[in-house]
Amino acid sequence: MKLFGKLRRNRKAVTTVESVIIVVLIIAIILSAGTLYYVSTVTRQLAELSTGISKLSDSVSKLSGDLATVSTTVEDIREILGRPPTTPPTPTPPPTPKYKETLIIGTTDSVEKTIDPAQAYDWFGWHILQQIALTLVEVEPGSEAGPEDYFPALATDWSVSADLKTWTFNLRKGVKFEDGREVTAEDVKYSIDRAIALIPEIPEGAPAGLGYDLVIDSVEVSDTYQVKFHLKIPFAAFLGFMGCRSSAIVNRDYAPIKEIEYTEGDVRASTPVGFLGPYKLTMWVRIAGRDTEMRLEANPNYWNAAVYPKTKNIVYKFYADPTALRLAIEAGDIDIAFRHLRSADVIDLTKNPNLKVWWGVGAAIQYMIFQEKIEPFGDARVRRALAAALDRPTLTSTVFLGLTEPLYSIIPKGMLGHTEAFKELGDANYELTRNLLAELGYNEDNKLQVELWYESSGHYPMSAEQAVVYKDSFEKSGVITVTIKSADWASYKLNRDNEIMPVYVYGWYPDYVDPDNYAFLYWAAWLHHNYENPDIVVLYDQARAITDPTERARLYAEIDKIAVRDSPVVPLWQGVAYAVTKPDVEGLVLDITQDMRYWLVYAEIPA
Amino acid sequence: MGLRSYIVARVLLTIPMIMLLLSIVFLVVRVLPGDPVLLHFEKRATPEAMDAMRQKLGLDKPLPLQYFEYLAGLLRGDLGKSMQDFSSVGQQIFSAFPATLELTIYSMAVAVTLGILLGVRASRSYNSPLDHSIRAFGIIMYAIPIFFLGMIFQIIFGIGLRWFPTGLRMHPAMEPPYGLNLGSLHISTGLYTVDSLLEGNIFKFLQALRYLFLPSLTLGLVLCGVFIRLTRSNMLETLGLDFVTAARARGLKERAVVYGYAFRNAFLPVLTMMGLQFAVLLGGAILTETTFSWPGLGRYIVDRINFRDYTAIQGAVVFFGLLVALVSLVVDILYAYLDPRIRL
Amino acid sequence: METRRTILASLLPALASLTKRGLAGWITVIGSGMVISIVLMTLLAPWISPYDPSAINVGPRFSPPNGQFPLGTNHLGQDMLSRVFSGGSIMLQVAALSAAVCLVIGVPIGLLASYAGGKLDKVCSLVMDSIYAFPALVLAIAIAAILGTGVVNMALAIAVVYVPSYFRIVRSQVLTIKELLYTEAARAAGAKGRTILLRYILPNVVPSIVVVATVNFADAILTAAGLTFVGLGVAKDIPDWGWDLTDGRALLPSGAWWVITFPGLMIVLLALGFTLIGEGLSELLNPRLEQ
Repeated sequence: MKLFGKLRRNRKAVTTVESVIIVVLIIAIILSAGTLYYVSTVTRQLAELSTGISKLSDSVSKLSGDLATVSTTVEDIREILGRPPTTPPTPTPPPTPKYKETLIIGTTDSVEKTIDPAQAYDWFGWHILQQIALTLVEVEPGSEAGPEDYFPALATDWSVSADLKTWTFNLRKGVKFEDGREVTAEDVKYSIDRAIALIPEIPEGAPAGLGYDLVIDSVEVSDTYQVKFHLKIPFAAFLGFMGCRSSAIVNRDYAPIKEIEYTEGDVRASTPVGFLGPYKLTMWVRIAGRDTEMRLEANPNYWNAAVYPKTKNIVYKFYADPTALRLAIEAGDIDIAFRHLRSADVIDLTKNPNLKVWWGVGAAIQYMIFQEKIEPFGDARVRRALAAALDRPTLTSTVFLGLTEPLYSIIPKGMLGHTEAFKELGDANYELTRNLLAELGYNEDNKLQVELWYESSGHYPMSAEQAVVYKDSFEKSGVITVTIKSADWASYKLNRDNEIMPVYVYGWYPDYVDPDNYAFLYWAAWLHHNYENPDIVVLYDQARAITDPTERARLYAEIDKIAVRDSPVVPLWQGVAYAVTKPDVEGLVLDITQDMRYWLVYAEIPA
Repeated sequence: MGLRSYIVARVLLTIPMIMLLLSIVFLVVRVLPGDPVLLHFEKRATPEAMDAMRQKLGLDKPLPLQYFEYLAGLLRGDLGKSMQDFSSVGQQIFSAFPATLELTIYSMAVAVTLGILLGVRASRSYNSPLDHSIRAFGIIMYAIPIFFLGMIFQIIFGIGLRWFPTGLRMHPAMEPPYGLNLGSLHISTGLYTVDSLLEGNIFKFLQALRYLFLPSLTLGLVLCGVFIRLTRSNMLETLGLDFVTAARARGLKERAVVYGYAFRNAFLPVLTMMGLQFAVLLGGAILTETTFSWPGLGRYIVDRINFRDYTAIQGAVVFFGLLVALVSLVVDILYAYLDPRIRL
Repeated sequence: METRRTILASLLPALASLTKRGLAGWITVIGSGMVISIVLMTLLAPWISPYDPSAINVGPRFSPPNGQFPLGTNHLGQDMLSRVFSGGSIMLQVAALSAAVCLVIGVPIGLLASYAGGKLDKVCSLVMDSIYAFPALVLAIAIAAILGTGVVNMALAIAVVYVPSYFRIVRSQVLTIKELLYTEAARAAGAKGRTILLRYILPNVVPSIVVVATVNFADAILTAAGLTFVGLGVAKDIPDWGWDLTDGRALLPSGAWWVITFPGLMIVLLALGFTLIGEGLSELLNPRLEQ
């Protein structure tokens, strides 16, 4: 009341300051009103969440069922490789529908270092290379990336010698670099030679990691449009190698034998690939080591430019974390959200009528490792006991809401060689756990002490939540106590190498789609878990040197059996791929390659 | 001690301070567990590959040598090469800084404006319910975790009402403002609001403001409490002083007394506080930048610590230290200039 | 002995007259009340929690507040009520420990350096200013990354950041008091430096230290939340409001508002409590001019 009296007396003094306060109060009221409104509408929707989750797990299990029934009968590969593969039917130009000119992609990824095929080894670097560069062969979108699913890209046909050591590729004619020069076998030789030559200088690159120098002996230009690869070992999965982004063709006029790094403001100088792919890179802005903007534009020099890309321009926008990405797609700021979204967010978005959720095959896996140098984990019985105590279905439903699948072999479902071997040890098989541990003197009064480590800086999704569930599963056996420890990625890797973590969890995604790229994880030296078994390695080397899929599957099954017996590494789960888009977006393919081919994607403009 | 010698003394004092900071950080980051070499190998790493990487990063040299090489580079103005992607640290910091600067400036503006206005109003109605609610408002705002507040704003204004965007600095479909081009001369500050005006593009300017609104509001609200308290207490002190009573006695209007006399004297401490809060703002920017996907220095440092990018961390620390030292130096000099009692 | 008596002698009258001192006194009492009730709640948590706060899947996940789970459950099926009861323990420990470290390190250094003056003072001031200049959260993150996770390490990280604040306050007070008449008198009477420091200076510095400590507590709580947000908090299986805040933030767009709200509210109340104590005390100890 005093206030009002003052107001009346000093009219002039009232205006500015008082009005600001009124504005502040109004904002506060809007805030509270808005919160209440939002909370009320959303709580209603949430009541349906549990039914949504169960519906989702149903569709996911249906999906895996479909994958499992995929035909395992495959023709003799040598025969296929010997004769030229069926060329894809020349597409009759479809009636030009109206497609949106630009699509905006939101992601939390970032190019790790460069988009130089001799260096790039991260998912996003490879992703960009796939849009702008060309390799000899490509995997047919939507296929299982089996040996017969490789399609001509720069190469039109190919053949292999009987000993699997000499591979010959015939090249497409008339493919031009950006500067107008035609691509010939010389360029292919230069690209691969360069990748191998740079291995000492770029030890962290893909050619080094994949072992180009261990596989390829020499590259021969047998004709202007024909190139021959002479290998050091018989290697059945060589097509996979040639489909890798590290085998992309570079323009030697812009690619000296030196790593090509990001150059601010000059896209041309930031990559050596001469833009042979469906797109060319027109803008790349990197601030403080993270991408902030990338733009792709249709490449007129692409050999299949008549058909692809369907969308002329692609713009990438980079978000700091999955929550920010979810908010962006929900707000309609972007057309496509891909990598990464949390499970709860994806399930929510399936209920959103303004968005479309796409599902696909996952090839990312996680597995648990036991450090055999630390007792008692050197004893296989302890490892098997812990493996038996794991409860994968609870884990996948609790932490990932059904968006991952329990995995019972180090080779994921959908790939040749996958088995359900670890089912032998079971899930939450506490009786087996107790029996095995009793043999070593562990019981309710003398519990096995386990130190479980997880990575804490977000390198793996939901790693902390997973650790909590694993601890719970182990302790439910009644004879195990678990202490959870964490380290950020840098320390985690160091701890791994210093072999101080008794039990730890690791992840893997494929370089190329072949069981060869997975099976070795059981004994991989760089995991530092000190498991050695010469028999298992013999089986592995045999499997990579033959092409008969039935025989290979048998060998990988043998490997799995040994793995179950020794349990050096225990597979945990396999991811499911997903993307969220606006309803008018079409053409997304989420197959086992884990690639996202934006040249297939389009949004129709309503007539 | 004259003003000139005061300035010289302060500047000279800054240098050993920075040196000390730098040396502390140099040691600290190398003590950090985790081997940066390993971080480059996503998958497998042979011992030979790791040795090659170590050489490439310059970590195989003895520690004192690394230290002196770094110092030498620093004197040349070279902050070294990032250990993650081998690009120039100086260039990375230089590119990230404008984003943080813009956020800091606007947040400071929000905090100071709100703080002063509310503080003055509170002081004028001392001990009234309005006074208490304003003080309470300031205190409560500071106690709210920044990412919590930011999240609420994102949900209400970004998704619910769709008035403001939920992240980034500019609309995804628009190109960032490029500043002014006068023939071969290119002027660009990196501050989107300034650059878009230089470009003459009002639409971009408005968009930049729109994208700035929520992050600066969040950070500004959290920090306005400090300014409310400061302004209020200083105003109360000043309003009780003799010359103010004298002015009132002379029959000047209340408003003239408040803003003409009292306020100007109360403003000095606010200036100092702005300098002090600058460091706090830079720190608070980390959480804000993560919440709103703002590509600035705060996020940069956290990224680099995770990556054990020694050179980048050192560079950022030196940069921050210099920045804060510069700001406090300017503030101190201004203060000394305006108030002769302060010079020692 | 003398010191303790002197300190008590100056504090007790202050405490007794709290409620009589008007608004400032009431603010201190309210703040203390908030803090004490939260501390009590945390201490009593094992007895009053209906469920084990770390047990997963005790109920349906994502369930909103209802009869069985008054504050709902989170994404792992943990009971939020139990988590709210026990979640403050980590933060309180971190805050208390960091305050203790700061007091033990910052105050003595501040006293000695400023009393002795000269080179020692200059060097200490330089070091402290360097640390003070640095953005707090960044330094805390860097140190927590070195030391690793855990209560002690978090507390040390926060302590390093706040020691300069204590140092500065102590130093400014000491410099003022040093020049006062009665100190001169004491020196003239032949009292030793140490005696002067402990008997005359320290008791007068204590009130300011207490105020700084309360602000330090409030800041420590918020910084601990920030550290957990960037993944440098305690292990995930320990109930902690910081974790609930981080998880809750990711769940908020899904509509699970109860995961972040209640722990968030508790953090705000705790930080607020300490701030109120600080506000009230500082007004009591440095009374404003009445208009």
